[in-house]
Amino acid sequence: MSSTDKTVLASAGFHGDVLTLVKRIGVRMQNYEYQHRKPMSTPACAQMLATMLYGKRFFPYYTYNILAGLDADGKGCVFSYDPVGSYEREHYRAAGTASALLQPFLDNQARALARIPDYIGRKNQQGVVFEPISKERAMTIIKDVFTSAAERDIYTGDAVDIRIVTKDGLEEHRFPLRCD
Amino acid sequence: MSQKYNFSLTTFSPSGKLVQIEYALQAVSGGATSIGIKTTEGAVIASEKKMGSILVDEQSITKVDKLTERIGMVYSGMGPDKRVLLAKGRKLAQQYFMTYREQIPTRMLVRELANVMQEYTQRGGVRPFGVSLLVVGFDQHTEKPALYQVDPSGSFFAWKATALGRNMINAKAFLEKRYNDELELEDAVHTAILTLKEGFEGQMTENNIEIGIADSAGFRRLEPTEIKDYLAAIAA
Amino acid sequence: MSIMEYNGSAVVAMTGKECVAIAADRRLGAQAQTVSTDFQKVFQMGPKLFVGLPGLGTDAITVSQRLKFRLNMYTLREERDIEPKTMINLVSSFLYERRFGPYFVEPVVAGLDSKNQPYVASTDLIGCPMETSDFVVGGTSSEQLYGMCESLYKPDMAPDDLFETISQALMNAVDRDCLAGWGAIVHIIEKDKITTRELKARMD
Repeated sequence: MSSTDKTVLASAGFHGDVLTLVKRIGVRMQNYEYQHRKPMSTPACAQMLATMLYGKRFFPYYTYNILAGLDADGKGCVFSYDPVGSYEREHYRAAGTASALLQPFLDNQARALARIPDYIGRKNQQGVVFEPISKERAMTIIKDVFTSAAERDIYTGDAVDIRIVTKDGLEEHRFPLRCD
Repeated sequence: MSQKYNFSLTTFSPSGKLVQIEYALQAVSGGATSIGIKTTEGAVIASEKKMGSILVDEQSITKVDKLTERIGMVYSGMGPDKRVLLAKGRKLAQQYFMTYREQIPTRMLVRELANVMQEYTQRGGVRPFGVSLLVVGFDQHTEKPALYQVDPSGSFFAWKATALGRNMINAKAFLEKRYNDELELEDAVHTAILTLKEGFEGQMTENNIEIGIADSAGFRRLEPTEIKDYLAAIAA
Repeated sequence: MSIMEYNGSAVVAMTGKECVAIAADRRLGAQAQTVSTDFQKVFQMGPKLFVGLPGLGTDAITVSQRLKFRLNMYTLREERDIEPKTMINLVSSFLYERRFGPYFVEPVVAGLDSKNQPYVASTDLIGCPMETSDFVVGGTSSEQLYGMCESLYKPDMAPDDLFETISQALMNAVDRDCLAGWGAIVHIIEKDKITTRELKARMD
């Protein structure tokens, strides 16, 4: 995981490619700041990452990426990618070896909380109170899903790094998982 | 050829009897006496084991045998025929276990053995078995003991107590007097020994009878030392 | 193209307090094309015993019939109902007979035993049995189901709670699997009754 104080990137897959990708993103963000005299915004970074990934369309980075941060209006934003740069802005996303395990749970628990208009209430649930997602609720869900993933996915475990982007800056947490 | 000839040795006599089976039963009733008694906690089988000569090693011959961990049997009649049934019975029990990962219930194994014995009354080129069996077991699903008799004809019966072999009639009469529903397992062992003693020729010792017990712990054949203790208790 | 993924399926079973539940989707497809939305994948095999057969649809039908045959023979011979534990071994040995030309199903067994204790277990397509105390899953959505069950499951749930949990687990799992879904059916087995409910689900 790599981050500025406004933008964080979670990258799963081949760690060699992850390191290279993060290093190259870092260089280009630094250059952007020198040339534009302001840090790169999260949506701009998202577009740049897509371009970089697609640039290696025929010898891709073996990475599954999720980029998160705040947009121009100060709202939270999550961008998810495939390894060759197809991307989409979303409210929540799971990536990596345990993505199939986690994504349906996020659908179930986070969708309504994220105020998605085409569903009223949580997904497949009726009569649930419509409420904005709180930081605490998001943390609880994340810890829960990673605990579950560590239970069944042999590649997930040891610990999970959590970064929280707010208007006041970046928070970092490390939450231990089962260590086998 | 198979359409022209019938190789079955067991064929109906004009009067409607299968004399081969009657001869087989004759072989059983000439054989050593066997006893079976069922109680609420377990079942006992016992048999005399007389040797043709004092030079025979008694430990090499068994009358009471284990079919599975929970089921055992004893026979009256021809020893070699029993060995074949024992081997078949063990194999059928293991086949059942392979399919269901569960010990075969006594009744099921008795049925299988009876099927084998019936087949030998109808198939070509074979003769009926010269043995009757007493099969005891303690079943997991009922948590109750079972006692069955299987005959050369392939018929089988469940008994509370019964006897086979040379002294069958006297032994059964004795058991009828001694048996009651509240009998304890230890009493049943004593009763079995006493029944065998009726009409036993010569001195009964730990080496010329065999006893098997099926209870919640499974089936086991008593060691000669254990039988010796029972005999001593009876004499006292 | 995997044969196990040709028709698409999702089956899940869960234990509760003196109850068990088994649920399955209703879709039968030919790869991405949906053919039927009322396909039966769960079969009642006794008064308190169900078997789910995710995998290749045609084999699910055959296996259900052949298992029912073996089961009827068992009940007739033994003059008693089969225990769920015995059932999984019957399924296991039945499948292993076809070790080198298997039926393409991953059976899931759910039931209450003679002491009304909940029991769930599953096997792979050649009959390797797996017994668990909480839940078992099978079919194309098994990864999604594992994720859902692992996070929603609690031990000793009451029948109502169990119904809600297994339904949520199945519905949200199949919504992330394009080969499964299109309706669902849930059976809740209790000692004195069986409740069967059909779920209203996304049909896209």
